[in-house]
Amino acid sequence: MTSSGPSPILNDYGFVALVLVMALGLALLVAAAFLRAPGLLMRTPSIWGQFRFGYAVYALIFLAFDMEMIFMYPWAVVFADIGISAFLDMLVFIVLLGAGIAYAWGMGGLEWE
Amino acid sequence: MIATAALVLVALVLGAALTLLVERLSTPHHVEPGPAQAADVRHSLVIANSDRWLLPAGPVVALTGVALALVVLPFGPGLIGRDLGIGVFYVIVVIDFVVLGLALAGWGANTAHAVEACYRIIAQLVAYVVPLGLAYVGVIMMARSLSTVAIVEAQSGLWFVVLQPIGFVLYLVTGLMQSYRAPFLEPFAASIGGGVLDVSAGWSALLWRIALAGVLFLVAAIGALLYLGGATGPLLPGWAWMIIKTYALMALMLWLGRLVRPFSTAQMLALSWKLLIPLGLLNVLLVGGLILLGVGP
Repeated sequence: MTSSGPSPILNDYGFVALVLVMALGLALLVAAAFLRAPGLLMRTPSIWGQFRFGYAVYALIFLAFDMEMIFMYPWAVVFADIGISAFLDMLVFIVLLGAGIAYAWGMGGLEWE
Repeated sequence: MIATAALVLVALVLGAALTLLVERLSTPHHVEPGPAQAADVRHSLVIANSDRWLLPAGPVVALTGVALALVVLPFGPGLIGRDLGIGVFYVIVVIDFVVLGLALAGWGANTAHAVEACYRIIAQLVAYVVPLGLAYVGVIMMARSLSTVAIVEAQSGLWFVVLQPIGFVLYLVTGLMQSYRAPFLEPFAASIGGGVLDVSAGWSALLWRIALAGVLFLVAAIGALLYLGGATGPLLPGWAWMIIKTYALMALMLWLGRLVRPFSTAQMLALSWKLLIPLGLLNVLLVGGLILLGVGP
């Protein structure tokens, strides 16, 4: 691993940024290659505003669970070092999550509208 | 640095091309092929009421997400873009740019089929992200690290597929949802004209093919990394094992997926929240119990 930047983290994410820029460049190249492709026109009426969001409750429950899962990543990394107390802590956490699902299910939240 | 970055993109294009081939070879003639197969790359297309920026941004954003996720995939000792400390967490974040891209293009196109596809795409995300994350968490607990290289090293004794069979099954199901392959093809269903692909032609169709094949390639490669020991194995070099494991897992997923009747979006959400997420929580507890008993690396 070579270190040309001021810090390894900056170096690593500099590389990520470079891949990002080069991927954008690749997309531009592909787009440029098709400039002369024969064109078609699709005429359809504008339909923004005609649609209704059918899973708002799912989305809200999802938001809660997704945030809660983010807390599990650091916990999972150190779990093996901490041992039984980390297990019991997460047991409480998972029981609460499970209760959340059971509640949402019981209230009819897991239904497609 | 620039050469390595170029190699990441080359790996993406080659991986996507091989994916298209594997998918075509493994799909019987009478079955609907994967979404990456059916896009018109011969014409360009102008859509009357579309958004000028959102529609073309879609495939670019999706391709970028796939390329960024590939940065942390190890194909052998030293054969990795960068071993970021947050490895798999980074993957789970940037791979969802595919969803963002599909949603942008679907909404931006402003046609009935594409906007319908946009809603289905987002619903599919709501279905798979949490159980997929729970499958990842089980692996991270045993590897004690988020780094992709450390996760491969942790499996030098025994692959995690043996220690975490529930997590592996969860990964197979949610991986098929994440890569939009049968039976979770609803956002690209023929009944809505192929969804976002209905409004893509020419350059955007080509980028969608790379991105949608690339996402299946990534899902299979990450599955090989998390559960099948990644780029390690006897006799052959590491990169050869990684490619064999990736495409073997891909073929297995495609084959299993076609055994099941296609799911509607509502059925998929129900499957996820009523079965997969409770199973994922159970998996985390079981893995924790195993670690406390001294099983694992």
